[in-house]
Amino acid sequence: MKAMILAAGKGTRVRPLTYSVPKPMIPLIRKPVIESLIEHLKRYGIDEIVINTSHLAGSIENYLRDGDRFGVHIAYSFEGKMVNGVLVDEPLGSAGGIRKVQDFSGFFDDTFIVLCGDALIDLDIGRFLEFHRNNKALATIALKEVPRPEVSRYGVVQTDDNGRIVRFQEKPGIEEAVSTTVNTGVYLFEPEIIDLIPSGTEYDIAKDLFPLLIERGLPFCGASIPYQWVDIGSVADYWEATRLILTGKVDGYVVPGREIAAGVHAGIHLAANFGRITIVPPVYIGSGTRIGDDAVIIGPTVIGANCEIEGGATVRECIIGDYTRVRSVAEIERMIVFGEKCIEPTGRFLDIDEFEIGWIVDDVRKATELPASQRYLFELARELGH
Amino acid sequence: MEMDSRKAGDVLVVRLLVKRIDAATAMDFKGMMVDCINNGNLKIVLDLSAVDFVDSTGLGMIVATLKTLGSDGVMAICSPTEVVRSLFTLTRMNKLFDIVPTVEEAIAKVKG
Repeated sequence: MKAMILAAGKGTRVRPLTYSVPKPMIPLIRKPVIESLIEHLKRYGIDEIVINTSHLAGSIENYLRDGDRFGVHIAYSFEGKMVNGVLVDEPLGSAGGIRKVQDFSGFFDDTFIVLCGDALIDLDIGRFLEFHRNNKALATIALKEVPRPEVSRYGVVQTDDNGRIVRFQEKPGIEEAVSTTVNTGVYLFEPEIIDLIPSGTEYDIAKDLFPLLIERGLPFCGASIPYQWVDIGSVADYWEATRLILTGKVDGYVVPGREIAAGVHAGIHLAANFGRITIVPPVYIGSGTRIGDDAVIIGPTVIGANCEIEGGATVRECIIGDYTRVRSVAEIERMIVFGEKCIEPTGRFLDIDEFEIGWIVDDVRKATELPASQRYLFELARELGH
Repeated sequence: MEMDSRKAGDVLVVRLLVKRIDAATAMDFKGMMVDCINNGNLKIVLDLSAVDFVDSTGLGMIVATLKTLGSDGVMAICSPTEVVRSLFTLTRMNKLFDIVPTVEEAIAKVKG
């Protein structure tokens, strides 16, 4: 079976993380979501994968390359153009992207799987395929139950007793939702479905294609196979997913590095005197990081690679990106430091340069000296700390 | 710098009418606040509802105002925009000030 991973979205709901990386490349303790998806496909022998790219395409393409490293074959379908040496995004929508692939080479020649590139899944693809075939479906969605307050984030599905989808509502209001069963963005399609998608224009699977299937009464099914689905649809989701992984609540997700103490995983090449540092697990510390004496790190916390946590700093329940310096006066709590921004789990953020908060956190590769205005605040914070 | 000031009993309520307290406006801000203090206002409420950006110079000047006020005075901040509130929290400067959602609460705070 062949696969398509949808990776061309702008990821607007996950800003500001997606200003610097495309959504499928958001790292969950170092590993991009899309890498986990590819590993999952590989487990089921699916090794021909097309990924459509657009927003920050190079980031995905340069990381996954031709897939050799993962034991699969990967091709990219870029949706955009180059204007004056700059790539301009021209995403075609989820269905439009599939159509483009088919128009190019006729790639999809049998039942194929489509995954959104922004959620971790451990779906039993064998069972999913069996369901799809038993129902002789043209399209099958992997379904999941969610709490009612969350329905407005998803496509809501109503099925009949045979698993046939009779209604599909894209992001309905909580009141009008016909069920709490939602589309998880994992689909099995027959190649004939592509004939329903117009060429060269934006066309969405959920908004355009699914309503059409229902309208025409085509065999469109929903499979309720229990599985783990960790959706990264917002900054809050990313925050929660990282914490779930660190606390061991995502089955099968291995925290990288070596466990140097109970609940403390670390990479190599660390400059840290662990006898002089307070660490409350679960914590992950990336390779090449320096941690000064009397630093306090309270989990769930992820510290990226090549960071410097200065002596005296307190990092409590944070996700710290690579190459971050946390200054000695910092007491940061429930914060994501990523792409030169300090981001709260709600998505609200402060740009480190714009707000001149380099005296709290900055890039470790920048000079350590602070400008006078920041020095004043740094000294003040130091006095306050004593 | 544009600001509105009014007295609520012995409390001076200063509402900044600028969007930014940064290197360009901070000295002006400090000068006006020092004038207020020199005029005998020792209970001050700073209404930041219109301010959506404060850089390190601006933050420094807000703190410097508090220092000028000294131990005889008291200052509270009210109605900060979400991002300014985040700045105070991240930098722990919220330890120095009472920061409350409304003018009324701030007045009550400084009245003690």
